[in-house]
Amino acid sequence: MEGDKRRTKEDTWKSEELRKHLPATQPKSQNEDKKHREKKLQKEKVVHDTGTHKDERKDRGKSKERTRERLKSVERDRDKMKERERGKEHHKERDRERYQDKLHGSSLEKERYSVPKDKDRESNKERDKMHKRHEIKKTDMQDNLKSFEGKDKEHHRRREKSRHRLEEEKTSGEERERRHTGKKDNNTKSSIDALLADKVGVSERGHKLQKDKELDKEEKRRYREKKEHSIRPVKDRLSKERSHKSYEEEEEERHKSKRSKEESSRGDRGQPAEDSKRVKSGENKKKKLDLKSSEHKTEEGNQGEEMSHERVRTGKDKGEISEKEKRDTSQEEVKATHIHNSDRELDNFSADYEDDFEDYEDDFDDYDEDKSEEGDTEDKLREIHFSKTSEIEEIQRAINAENDRICTSLPQKVRNEKPEPVVERQYPPARNSFRGIFMDFETANQRQSSQSMASKQKKRSAELLPLIDLDFSVSFSLLDLPPVNEYDMYIRNYGKMNTKQAYVQCNEDNLDRDIQTEEVETLEKWTQHPGESALVSGGPTNGQEMTANGALTPKIDSQRLANFLLSAGQVIAVLLEEDQAAAQPRWKLRSQQTSLSISDSCFQLNTNQPFLHDRKISCLYVSQVQRQAVLSVHGLPEKAGVALLNRKSIICVWNIWQPSSPQKVLICDSEVLCCCFSPSKTTLVFAGTVDGSLLVWDLREDARMHPHVTFSETDWTFRVPTFSTDGILNSVNHTSPILAVEPISTPLYADQNYGLASLSHQEEMSGPPFQIASMDENGILNTWVVVELQKVDLAGSQTDLGLIPGGKVKLVHSSSMELNCSLFPKDVRLRMPQMLTVKFLPSDPNHFIVGTNIGLVGHGTRHDLKVLPKLFRPRESRMRSISINAIDFFPFGKSLFLVGCSDGSIRLHQMTSEYPLMQWNDSTNGQPIIALQWALTRPAVFFVLDASSNIYIWDLLENDLFPVAKQTVPSENVVTMALLGEPEKTNGLLGIVLASGSGEIDIQHVKKKWAQPQPEESEKLNLILLQSF
Amino acid sequence: MGELGLEAGNGNGNTYSLRPGLQQRFKPSIVKECIRAVLKEKLADVQYVPEEMPQLTKSLSEIIKDRLKEEGFERYKMVVQVVIGEQRGEGVNMAARCFWDADTDSYAHDVFMNDSLFCVVAAFGCFYY
Repeated sequence: MEGDKRRTKEDTWKSEELRKHLPATQPKSQNEDKKHREKKLQKEKVVHDTGTHKDERKDRGKSKERTRERLKSVERDRDKMKERERGKEHHKERDRERYQDKLHGSSLEKERYSVPKDKDRESNKERDKMHKRHEIKKTDMQDNLKSFEGKDKEHHRRREKSRHRLEEEKTSGEERERRHTGKKDNNTKSSIDALLADKVGVSERGHKLQKDKELDKEEKRRYREKKEHSIRPVKDRLSKERSHKSYEEEEEERHKSKRSKEESSRGDRGQPAEDSKRVKSGENKKKKLDLKSSEHKTEEGNQGEEMSHERVRTGKDKGEISEKEKRDTSQEEVKATHIHNSDRELDNFSADYEDDFEDYEDDFDDYDEDKSEEGDTEDKLREIHFSKTSEIEEIQRAINAENDRICTSLPQKVRNEKPEPVVERQYPPARNSFRGIFMDFETANQRQSSQSMASKQKKRSAELLPLIDLDFSVSFSLLDLPPVNEYDMYIRNYGKMNTKQAYVQCNEDNLDRDIQTEEVETLEKWTQHPGESALVSGGPTNGQEMTANGALTPKIDSQRLANFLLSAGQVIAVLLEEDQAAAQPRWKLRSQQTSLSISDSCFQLNTNQPFLHDRKISCLYVSQVQRQAVLSVHGLPEKAGVALLNRKSIICVWNIWQPSSPQKVLICDSEVLCCCFSPSKTTLVFAGTVDGSLLVWDLREDARMHPHVTFSETDWTFRVPTFSTDGILNSVNHTSPILAVEPISTPLYADQNYGLASLSHQEEMSGPPFQIASMDENGILNTWVVVELQKVDLAGSQTDLGLIPGGKVKLVHSSSMELNCSLFPKDVRLRMPQMLTVKFLPSDPNHFIVGTNIGLVGHGTRHDLKVLPKLFRPRESRMRSISINAIDFFPFGKSLFLVGCSDGSIRLHQMTSEYPLMQWNDSTNGQPIIALQWALTRPAVFFVLDASSNIYIWDLLENDLFPVAKQTVPSENVVTMALLGEPEKTNGLLGIVLASGSGEIDIQHVKKKWAQPQPEESEKLNLILLQSF
Repeated sequence: MGELGLEAGNGNGNTYSLRPGLQQRFKPSIVKECIRAVLKEKLADVQYVPEEMPQLTKSLSEIIKDRLKEEGFERYKMVVQVVIGEQRGEGVNMAARCFWDADTDSYAHDVFMNDSLFCVVAAFGCFYY
């Protein structure tokens, strides 16, 4: 598509070119015959052309042309060149005409010479001031010449007319061509560039026109000069010589200035573009090769002529040539030529002129020769003959050498020459083109095609690049091969020999799971059944009340709650026990079997525990404040039992409402002879042992502090003593078996020590502080203060060596009494009485009575106060070895006490009298009394147990001489007896706890008639007692 | 004249295809499959012999390039890079980075390994606008 277009354009161009050339060639052919005559003129003219060429060359050398302009003006320059050539041809023709005219009628021309000049000037005036000035000068000069050369003027005028016509024709052709190039420029360049180019083109055109005209004028001038010269010999040559010389110089100067101006005006655009253009338009060139070749030929011919003219002509011009071509060649020569100028000029001109006439034919032949081949050297050689001076020869030789050098070096240079410096490039455009035609076009063709492709691609890329977004990709990882570690390498290399690798994962089923569940919402509701009122159920209905309750919770007294839970738990446990008892008839059956005649019913504490087998019960104790709490002391076993308990005696704490099992089990290392509860609460248990140690158990202690033994799927805690006096406090400790341990009750203390009340209240758990009295066989009565520790030391105390680690209760020795010394007078003391039992007066703990083995009961106080009577004696005054086995204070306020003796006698003493109120000697048939005790519910009734397991019930209101009832416990050896009952309550429950030798504990509920209190019983008893006095 | 061609180009108004057609687009998956097939076929039982490897890489790249051309990625310039290395336990890390039009250009690579050698082939497709 593009190719086609190009072709068509080329065609059009060709046609235009042809058209252009048409007027140029036609006149040439027409005027060919004139050539012979005009040869000399031609030569002169061509010299000017070469001069301009030289100027151009110089210009280029001086000004480093801007490439853009160069490019733009490529074609223009080429056109110019052609035009110039054409112009030359025209000039030639014109010159020929002129010459002919001159030959025929020079006088006419001379006369009219000035007129066409003026015309010419006018026509050119508006274009160029410079030119005008030049013209004016010329006219001045011409005026001077007028006088001599009047006849030439006419000839000139005529010639000018014809020339003008030709010029107009030529300029019209030029205009056309320029238009054409302008068009081309428009097409190729972008609009702005095109505009610029247009402007430039216009100016260029102007310049060209100017140049052409200037050339024409120059020619005329030369012609004139030559004519002058030629005419001068005819006329007064010598007289005018001087003026002529001056004129010549003047002209030379003008010429130079003009040249410089031309340089400035057109030097910046021009020549180098020629080459690039030639490269670009190689194709086109090729196509019109024939045309051009003809052109070139003519050019070549011209050139040859020019050269010859150059050489033949003035040394000055030659000097210029050399100056411009070489630059580096000698300035001296130039100067020399200049110096010689004035002398030589005349001769040269005349010679030239004549030469021209003579050699006209030769030149014509040369011209023909030139057409066929390049005739430079021949011309030169030939022309050298004309040179008359040796200097000229030298110069020409130098020029020759220069030219040759350039000619040889040129073809290569031309090829790769675009931004080539001035001289070589510019110098032989015409001459060189002939030689370079073939090479240039061929290579240029390729270059041009490749260049067009490159420019196409460049343009394409320029257009595409804004559309395309190029970016850096992320770096792709093509391969990441980690280094093999040594083990793998080893395995790879050696691991396959006789081995097999296997992997096993263990513990796969050991999985952890986390579960999160929603919090359970709870709501409190209460209900009452059966409904006692309309409101039978209720509770908080919304969250607010719940939170209100939540806010209330801190007010709960945790201590009270704990107490409540403790007691409530006990109650519930008792209830469950009762249910169980009801469900299991075995208990009832047995109790019925073993029920005695004195009792309504009976039940048994379950001593059938594995650790209680084969243990005799040595002692029973019933708490004074909590009547359901019973202690039973079990002695050492007769045969070895459980390893832990082998050498230990056991104390069981019972709640009679839970007879199935003991509440707590206490153990100690030695045999316990006596025991008691703490007076106010059943939280502490005291026991005296045969080896004289006093032991304390704190029942509140955590079970974890004590050893555990599991018997038949029941875990038993065996509590070891919290505190033991064994081995410590040797100075005050008992050294003989402790026979009695009695709490010293504190009601009176509390009354007396108001000051300590606040202190005592602080120790809520343990109640008010109290003392414990222990008495051993030697009659030493120790009192101990029970101290409750505020701080628990789990690591064990450093100072209290008897204290169990973590224990809170310890005994501090308070006082010690030697009862033998203090209680008995000398006579009694001689009998060496042995203390057997001790009792403190319930109403006044300062007083105590001591039973002895001589039938006497001593009376003492803790502070060695004198009391009366000191002794309570039996009725008979003689002292017998009767041991007092049992003493019991009257529980209803009066200071009465019963004394049971080993001879079977029972005495009722009053604290104020030495002798008993009553004495019953043979109620037991001589059997020693083991135990006796007032009934807790009836003041007038007491119970007696003798050694042969007989229980006697005395009711003093009914019979004050004999017991009202006697009950023998069948087949059982009753070791000891204790009474249960709650004196505060009037429900008449009264129980007898009987401990058998086999280790069983029976509880008999005494019949109502002995248990139910009777009205005004105390008064009746008082009456009876009063009567007994 | 030289400018005529450009004039014609300008006057006509060039139409450039900036994007490949959907069918001709460089598809990494297909290319990868292609590479894989070639590698499997050519390298199945090849042991690393240093003298033979240069020739092998060249032939492989040629084969793969020809195969890819058969796939019909029109107007694509194919660049196939083949690297063969010996497997001796050393760590190798290869990466590539491209300055291109991410909309049209792409690449695919595949790695072949046996006991004695590894072979990395990367094929880059660049679109001609």
